Amino acid sequence: MLKFAEHARKTLLSVTAVALLAVSQVHADNIQAFSGQSFAQIKEDFAGKPFVLSLWSIDCAPCRVELKLLGEIKQQQPEFPLVVISTDLLEDREEAVDILDSYHLAEFASWMFADAFVEKLRFSIDPLWHGELPRSYFFAQDHSFKAHSGVLNKEQLQEYFPNWLE
Amino acid sequence: MLRIHGQVALIMRIFLMISKSIAILVASIFMMTVQLANAQSCTALQEQSGADIISVHCGGAPSATVDADGRLWVTFVQNKHVYVTYSDDKGENYSQAVRVNEEPEDAEFNGENRPKIVVAETGDVLLSWTTKTSSNFTGLIRFSRSVDGGKSFSQPRTINDDGLHTGHRFDSLFLTQSGNLYLTWIDKRDMEATLARDEDYPGAAIYYAVSQDYGKTFSENYRVSHNSCECCRIAMAPHGVDNVAILWRQIYDSQIRDHAIAVLSAQGQVSAMDRATVDDWYIDACPHHGPSMVSAQAEDQYHMSWFSAGDIHKGIYYARYDLNSAMSSHLIEVDATPGAGHPSLATHADELKMVWKGFNGVQTQLKLMRSHDDGKSWSPAEDFLLTDQASDHPLLISTAQGVYLSWWTAQYGYIFKEVANVEVR
Repeated sequence: MLKFAEHARKTLLSVTAVALLAVSQVHADNIQAFSGQSFAQIKEDFAGKPFVLSLWSIDCAPCRVELKLLGEIKQQQPEFPLVVISTDLLEDREEAVDILDSYHLAEFASWMFADAFVEKLRFSIDPLWHGELPRSYFFAQDHSFKAHSGVLNKEQLQEYFPNWLE
Repeated sequence: MLRIHGQVALIMRIFLMISKSIAILVASIFMMTVQLANAQSCTALQEQSGADIISVHCGGAPSATVDADGRLWVTFVQNKHVYVTYSDDKGENYSQAVRVNEEPEDAEFNGENRPKIVVAETGDVLLSWTTKTSSNFTGLIRFSRSVDGGKSFSQPRTINDDGLHTGHRFDSLFLTQSGNLYLTWIDKRDMEATLARDEDYPGAAIYYAVSQDYGKTFSENYRVSHNSCECCRIAMAPHGVDNVAILWRQIYDSQIRDHAIAVLSAQGQVSAMDRATVDDWYIDACPHHGPSMVSAQAEDQYHMSWFSAGDIHKGIYYARYDLNSAMSSHLIEVDATPGAGHPSLATHADELKMVWKGFNGVQTQLKLMRSHDDGKSWSPAEDFLLTDQASDHPLLISTAQGVYLSWWTAQYGYIFKEVANVEVR
């Protein structure tokens, strides 16, 4: 009997632990954790397709100008091949989601840095990037790319995606 | 025969390469364990003492100073509180950290924006930091002090005097030999006013305030310059016994983010303002890379180190700036490898030292070089410390006893370590 009680207590504890873990991991947003392997995965997802990569952070004022433009594009063209990554850590996700939401970007999947070792994550995207923001990349169909530091404008996007943006 | 000989030679070469790599690995592990015997990672501390532990090893973006009695003081941010702790054995053991702000506030803590600490000869502990007030780059410049040797701190005060809900961030704090306490920061009040008139205003502005009674009272706010960059730390160094020189990232021609220098007086006069670096970094973005500056041997001369990805200079640079001629000399490219950044300078006993961060794809390498002739020539860069986990910007702290490295790492916790001088024969 005592054994059963002990067993029941343990089971209850582990069920509670699993439930708590599940609650703590469920977020009603579209943020994904960006780890050292994520960029390879993103490129695989876009295999044979061009895409735009836009990096931003909560603390970066010029990034908001770029997010506004990207949000407008996504509203008009929900399928526009865009990857948005915040270099803030996941613990700031609520603040990041609020900002994305104000530019109508929260409804689309985006990423946030999942490791405080930001040098490693930056390196996984582009060893030549110094961390300045906003930073963006035009990946061609063969995934050769062109990097840009500073706010993107619509003309630059049109140049690379003439069929998408007229 | 020749082929066999070739194969043997190849095997020998591979064997030598492997043994060399193992030797380097063992040496570097030995170096780290010997030098950082007292360092403790936050993770290890939390396992011992619980996740709630308040410690310099767990806090965000610490900064340090050493007082006239040789006591090390460190401030850091944890759980929306600024804390102060001290050590009487140069970072081996720390006192119980004292909470500065009773009410939690969103004190910023990152490489470019951290709490600052100065200890006056009177023993007063003086602190400044930035409190974030929204997600839209707004903040307040905060100040608190202790007049009982760090046992308790005054209610934090807001030093920006405009009462506006706008950007006041990236504070820097400096106490001159004569006891003038300068607090300088990046301020968006002029940007707001200009935009309200439908005119353009690139960037932000640099403002400052001065206290001549160790922080009991402050002067009004003085403007140094319009059109600064919005997101880089400001470097400060003494100018004579009363004044300071500051170096910051400034916007030129609406688009170029290079550096400006100026001398500030306690009465609000700004002089000798000029462009200090010409790198031509055309960028409409936040570089998140502020400069470092310390006094050179001659009065009116300063050692500067900074990062740029401009058309003229790309990487970390050093130069010595002369306020009288408004010219730089002895300019060198310190490190242009990808991942190099965040230099910090300090001098002691005629030795000028510089540390900065590099990244080789796996590890962060803290690099060090030295000059014994006021920045005219430098030793080759050496790997000083390594980590394969997250780390803060490295800071060099100049004390009466020598130069110390102040560096937080996930792997070793907070490191406060002497950077020994090299004998020059």
